[in-house]
Amino acid sequence: MLKYLLFEGGLYKHERILEFLEDVGGFLVQKTVVGLDLIMNLAVPEEENERLSAIVSELKGKLTPAPLIGTEIGVVAPTLSRHHLPHPACDIAENLRRHGAKTNIIGLSRGVGQKIVHTTMKEKELIEEHDIAVFTLGNFEKCLMKKTKLFSEIEVPVIVTGGPLMKSIPGAEAYVGGIGRYPERARTGESIEKLREVSRVAGEVVEQRRREMDLDPLIVDPIIVKAEIERQVPESTEALSPNPVTLKIDGVRVKLPYDDYKDKIGGIIIGDKKLSDFALIKRSLMRNYILVKVLPKSMF
Amino acid sequence: MGKIRIFVDSSDELGGQQYKYIAEKSVEDLGLGGSIDSIDMLIRVEEPVFIIVIRYKEVTGKSTLGDASYIDSRKNGIRITLSSEIFLGDALKALWSKYGRDRVEQIGRLEIFVSGADPEEVKGIRLSEKGYDLESRINELATRIIPEGFRVRNSLKKRGMITIIASEDPIKESWRELAARLEGDSHA
Repeated sequence: MLKYLLFEGGLYKHERILEFLEDVGGFLVQKTVVGLDLIMNLAVPEEENERLSAIVSELKGKLTPAPLIGTEIGVVAPTLSRHHLPHPACDIAENLRRHGAKTNIIGLSRGVGQKIVHTTMKEKELIEEHDIAVFTLGNFEKCLMKKTKLFSEIEVPVIVTGGPLMKSIPGAEAYVGGIGRYPERARTGESIEKLREVSRVAGEVVEQRRREMDLDPLIVDPIIVKAEIERQVPESTEALSPNPVTLKIDGVRVKLPYDDYKDKIGGIIIGDKKLSDFALIKRSLMRNYILVKVLPKSMF
Repeated sequence: MGKIRIFVDSSDELGGQQYKYIAEKSVEDLGLGGSIDSIDMLIRVEEPVFIIVIRYKEVTGKSTLGDASYIDSRKNGIRITLSSEIFLGDALKALWSKYGRDRVEQIGRLEIFVSGADPEEVKGIRLSEKGYDLESRINELATRIIPEGFRVRNSLKKRGMITIIASEDPIKESWRELAARLEGDSHA
């Protein structure tokens, strides 16, 4: 099983890590260069972890486990108004990204109130394109309890954040209290700790989902699909969208127009099979991108 | 700047405390610290109703260029020396619209030269509708504080005070009474 790690260090001699990954069958998921600093999201076979740590410590870098690497998380705010954005939705999203996730922020059309609150079918489908959804709700316990219908029918795991210090909320996988509606950036140690807790809980949910998927593994690991798409369709790496081939737990999102590229993506050869033989390729509700969902072994 | 009194009466105590914090930060964001005397909120989530009473200082006067600056005549025009930098934006805007950009020149941080203008005429130029401006910002403040889902609103304006009752249901008479009581309390 692959282990996901976050490398933080310098550019100097970082090729050694890339060579090591190539030798042991690991992958570079994302590479971000900021000046002379380097942040890399890596996937390494579990048994090679120690040898990688040795190389990283020689390079004076830092390696942290980051289960959120290779996940796409939707952060859902009740609306797009100033009451709910940018704080706390953007704070939560930023912290998730620091832990390796790729995030998208979604604003619902009617996520407010106790009576009018609901998610439309289209919104539900859009949220379900993600691996996990994080709903950022408000400060009142009674309101939160009436808003469970926002997420109770969503099929991907849901984490809810809100002001009241409850242990759980019906319909969601997990609940993190103490982050309700607040009007400024999270700056205090206490509030940042809460954001970290969301990321930690998300990490647990992701690991749980990966463990469940191990019982019926995917035919090809999505990370191999990503590498092959980038190799066989070079346009995918040139798209201007951030992270043009986004890795997900059960597939990838390719940020190219569906109508123009669906056949090309479907025709990619992995092993001796075409991608369309063992994966569903469909149109994403997000800007007509291409969603690739790899099927599990039990389907064949 | 006087201290703003913020009072919250909420059926959900923890949520109420958070609204006090939201009110403080919203006042800070809108730069209304000097204009607001008090904010009183009454929150009953179970009904649901949210009542807010904002008391503020009404701004009068200081609305003409003559009040906000010292004006002296020069050979080809007049020199305006503003008493504070905060009037600069409004003053330039007002002068540009009256005399055009060619005739108005900012010669220093607080000084503006207007060629061929009459001092008496310049003194009478209105900087901006300050009173109106403050009111719209107070409204903005109330809108930012009130939860977004409470869309049925009833507002009542008195001198230096605005009361808004917000809910998801049609406004009940009993809530108006609650609001009136809250207005009375905010006096104390």
